[in-house]
Amino acid sequence: MAERTPTIDAIDHVPADALGPRLAGELATGARFVMLVGLDERSVGGDGLAVEAVAARPDGSLARLRAAVPLDAASYPSVTPLVPAAHWDEREARDLLGIVPVGHPDPRRLVLHERWPRGYHPLRKDVPAGVRPPEGERRFVPFEVHGEGVYQLPVGPIHAGVIEPGHFRFSAMGERVLHLDARLFFVHRGLEKLAEGRALGAAAPLVERACGVCGVTHGLAYAQAVEMLTGTGVPPRARWARVLLAELERLYNHVGDLGNICAGIGFTSGVSRLGWLKERLLRANDALTGHRYLAGIVVPGGLAFELDPAGLAALPSTLEAVGPELAAAVRAVVRSEGVMSRLHGTGVVPAETAAALGALGVSARATGLRVDLRHDAPYAAYDELEVGVVTAAAGDVAARFHVRAQEAQASLRLLAEVLGRMPAGPVTVPLATVPEPGASALGAAEGPRGASWLWLRAGDGGTIDRLRLRSASFANWPVVAAAVPGNLVPDFPLINKSFELCYACTDR
Amino acid sequence: MPLDVFDRILRPLRRGTVTSRYPDAGPDLPPAARGIPELDVDRCDATAACVDACPTGAIRVAGSTWSLDVGACILCGACARACPPGAIRIGGRIELAVRDREDLLVVRALRRTP
Repeated sequence: MAERTPTIDAIDHVPADALGPRLAGELATGARFVMLVGLDERSVGGDGLAVEAVAARPDGSLARLRAAVPLDAASYPSVTPLVPAAHWDEREARDLLGIVPVGHPDPRRLVLHERWPRGYHPLRKDVPAGVRPPEGERRFVPFEVHGEGVYQLPVGPIHAGVIEPGHFRFSAMGERVLHLDARLFFVHRGLEKLAEGRALGAAAPLVERACGVCGVTHGLAYAQAVEMLTGTGVPPRARWARVLLAELERLYNHVGDLGNICAGIGFTSGVSRLGWLKERLLRANDALTGHRYLAGIVVPGGLAFELDPAGLAALPSTLEAVGPELAAAVRAVVRSEGVMSRLHGTGVVPAETAAALGALGVSARATGLRVDLRHDAPYAAYDELEVGVVTAAAGDVAARFHVRAQEAQASLRLLAEVLGRMPAGPVTVPLATVPEPGASALGAAEGPRGASWLWLRAGDGGTIDRLRLRSASFANWPVVAAAVPGNLVPDFPLINKSFELCYACTDR
Repeated sequence: MPLDVFDRILRPLRRGTVTSRYPDAGPDLPPAARGIPELDVDRCDATAACVDACPTGAIRVAGSTWSLDVGACILCGACARACPPGAIRIGGRIELAVRDREDLLVVRALRRTP
């Protein structure tokens, strides 16, 4: 099959009050919400701010709707009332760029907690990087349910297990949760500000380290955005190796996450078996790339280095051994009535809720939504492979368990095929051109938790003017909050683990 | 499910021991594993290509010393790939914990200077 020539989708400049209706119109004709990104135009010849809403159409093209927002009256009509999936994106743009979505249902801070001073918007171009702002004074106001017999249960941000920081505020009646307010962004590191001004192709170490466990996915989204902006075609071996790396990432995550679901109910033999299998896969990653979590190899233009020959030679036998062990471990879970009674009917997300909130990945497919970028908009070498999209209907913890188990086996099949078909040749090319300042493009890849999207704009002299990474975890956290009400408080760890989202790449 | 019972007994027996003796024995890393960069001062020609290649600014060459801040190193291996004479080796040194922050600074005296 011929290599697809990447083309940058045209930007449609729209009046601010048309942004919501136009975006909703795209979604009504089958497009899916991708992201809304806030922009400061002053570094690329403009005189104000802007917001751009992006949706992916069924034919693979992108609708890019950009509305100018004046600097002295930085507001526009919120799109969230029409497109709920944009709710966090709009709150983020308000915090980081001071662009106010008028009519947004949740006026609270999201990314910048209340101790950040008022009026301080770090992604504006006149705000220097690396400066510690004075501390603000405001207090966090949780969203709580009040009434007779309703009590509040605050959990976190520091948790008993060594996990990432997040504050969960349960409003509960007895043991039943009425509402969950999830407060994240405790580890907002300003990665996007840090990327600005760097050479266009030099941000891979930053982007892939947005989190520890989806580095290949984030790195691919970034590399593909750079390659599109610079008109760079990646050599065939690198395209196939990228599939290999992406599927290895999916496999070790899914295997580990199946084990984590077992941990959520104290089924320790499942935790041990699946944990051991994950460890074997991590060691195979290390032998192949020198890094257990596959960091440092995916870069714009191809791969930073060739796969290790010994690691590559040993991979087939490892994967052949993992397949039956994984099947046996999953069988032991599925045939345990005590386990499955906890998974069935717990943490149910209806398909309509998942669609409205823009759920991605396993979270979406477990409700029956058939979304998978590998199939919908193939990249790397996926256009030459048959990716069977796995779905389940129930939307509960059991459905998310089954989807992961089947996708892990599908990854093993894909890996075997890729190992057999990987062409020889170089793995990297130099970036072909230096894009015009102001040129922008998006890249995307389907990771273990769903699609990562990266929006990238070039500045002067082949630098990064603006970069935004919207991880699948960012998209899916509101789905977790929607899955919990009606369940028992002690089932929250299980529900949370059935999504197994990342905090770090949400917070960035 | 009687077959299941056999599977649960026989599979672990066939599998044997899956844990290792670490830390009593070595971590048994594959050859490709990336630890911290180690400089061979006899081969270093002080071109400082490693300084430019390092994405985090962890490496410095000042006068006749080469220094690496292990606290800033992300073990990416870019320095070793960029070094013209191949004087930097990414070995298997992964045990990096120290008691004080300044102990994370590795300083080597260069034989040749720029």
